[in-house]
Amino acid sequence: MSKMAIRWLYRELPELITKGILTQETAERLRHYYGEVKSVGKRVAMLIILGTTGALLIGLGIILLLAHNWEEFSRFTRAVLSLLPLVIGQCLALWVLWKRPGSGAFKEGAATFLSLMVGASIALISQTYNIPGDAGTFILTWMLLIIPLTYLMQASMPAAIYLIGITAWSGTYWDNPLKAALFWPLAAITIPHFIWALRREIYVLRTSILSLIMIVCVSIATGFSLGKTWQGSWVIIFPSLYSIFYFLGWLKIGRITTNWQRPLRIVGAIALFTLAFQFTFRYVWQYLDKDYFGMDRNISDISAMPDHIITTAIVAMAMLLFYDNVKRKNWMVSLFGAVPLLAIIAYSIRGESTFLPLLLFNAYLFVLSVSRIIFGVRNNNLAIINTGMLMLAVLIIARFFDSDINFIMKGLAFIIVGAGFLATNLVLSRRMGGAK
Amino acid sequence: MKSRIIIGLFLCVALAQVVTPLSMIATRESVIKNGAQFKFKTAPIDPYDAFRGRYVALQIEGDYVPTVMGVKLTHGESVYALIDIDSEGFAKFTSVLTKRPREKPYMQAKVRHISGDKVYLDLPIDRYYMEEKSAPIAERIYRRHTQRNRQDAYVVVRIKDGFAVIENLFVGGQKIEDAVKKERKS
Repeated sequence: MSKMAIRWLYRELPELITKGILTQETAERLRHYYGEVKSVGKRVAMLIILGTTGALLIGLGIILLLAHNWEEFSRFTRAVLSLLPLVIGQCLALWVLWKRPGSGAFKEGAATFLSLMVGASIALISQTYNIPGDAGTFILTWMLLIIPLTYLMQASMPAAIYLIGITAWSGTYWDNPLKAALFWPLAAITIPHFIWALRREIYVLRTSILSLIMIVCVSIATGFSLGKTWQGSWVIIFPSLYSIFYFLGWLKIGRITTNWQRPLRIVGAIALFTLAFQFTFRYVWQYLDKDYFGMDRNISDISAMPDHIITTAIVAMAMLLFYDNVKRKNWMVSLFGAVPLLAIIAYSIRGESTFLPLLLFNAYLFVLSVSRIIFGVRNNNLAIINTGMLMLAVLIIARFFDSDINFIMKGLAFIIVGAGFLATNLVLSRRMGGAK
Repeated sequence: MKSRIIIGLFLCVALAQVVTPLSMIATRESVIKNGAQFKFKTAPIDPYDAFRGRYVALQIEGDYVPTVMGVKLTHGESVYALIDIDSEGFAKFTSVLTKRPREKPYMQAKVRHISGDKVYLDLPIDRYYMEEKSAPIAERIYRRHTQRNRQDAYVVVRIKDGFAVIENLFVGGQKIEDAVKKERKS
């Protein structure tokens, strides 16, 4: 149950007791069962947001000031200048750790500022000594020097900067999967922080932003580092990745799914639908085995190993979470997360005919959207009904304009969709009639 | 107790954060002080780096060597480029080795690409940082010079044990900073 719901319940309790619906004892037991609802005041939340934004802006401002490149300064002055902001940032952070170890706002702000100052310092030295334009080394040095701050200062902003940084770093190795794959172990360093943030879900906004940044970074880095040694494997990798996000978004941690998981759930669902929708088009399957962007590497090559291992791990995790949800009979969630499984099937049968994958995904999206509508009707949830209808409409419109399919197939598809609609309506009207 | 450990660990991290830039400074200062001086002919052009400021990219003349028989080089591989001085006093790359040379002056570089019988090098002297308004002026000065067929831009580099640090950029016989200053006055 969400925090909001528990809070609502607690507000209701006194009235329920006075009206004699609950006894004092049951109310106490309810309180005991759900536990205390921790929350930060609005003021503290504002302080954290303002403090972090302020630190971020000042830090970036200092970087820009140094980027101007003051010609008249000697090398010695520049050396002092490059260390000065860094040391100030460190003193600030130290003071916070010493005097205000309990203040989230101070810690987040100081850690953010220090993270940026480390970058400013290395950048100014690069400038002074005309260090070659090897962006990768510059970024990686910077990131490795700031990631400990996430843990020592329990701050999320250094983790966010770090994730963005290592993504950019892996981007500089987009043509070298062996190096780009190092993104994954590097990213794994932030996992304990995520778990920590999850346990203390009092800073909901902070962790939501962090998880959103994580999703974007991991998505981009997947594009850089995976699927380059095995042609067409992206049709399995990306659905697996997003289904993991989606399933994690539903995972119950201590009886509740927390608000920070919402980005995972929403982005995961949208991405899964978009991918499945894309897979209903012929061009995806037609050009899957064609050679593009220089993917001429040998699969058995040793440099392909990290790609294969990480890909296997991602797909296995997606399958495991899918199995877990099926076992627990979470049908709606499982159905959404079935995209990677279907992608594997479609990938293996595409050799028979390009039509089979298309049929598979058209049927899947049809079942998915209709079952969503039914589920929504059953639970009187208009939002779910509407998203289901929208998904169905997108599918139908796409098929109408899909000129790749011949008229017979198009006609048949339309008849099937139409029949499906009629059947759905029939079932729904019967059910509603029964309810009356 | 716990906060003491955290502060202790923080101090270690802080030390690493200070030592990294300090060691970057120290290595380069030592090269500038003790390294041998070379002049490389170059062509400066003006791109932009958001983080580290504005610079002129240096296109070193003759940034390639003939391919070596029997040595297979790959893109991105670290090599040692041997340096010779020509009759005009400018440095030139003569060949590359995969093992660190003993005596001859050399510069650490990477293989950019191999085309025909030439190995093109990624040299660690590819940019010269300038004040933001100076960089475009520097490029303009250089262009004017090349139009009059006086390709006389060169970069002065200090090298010690293969590690190269740029000292100055010269166009038309004067330091680029001085040339920019004159240009601004006129």
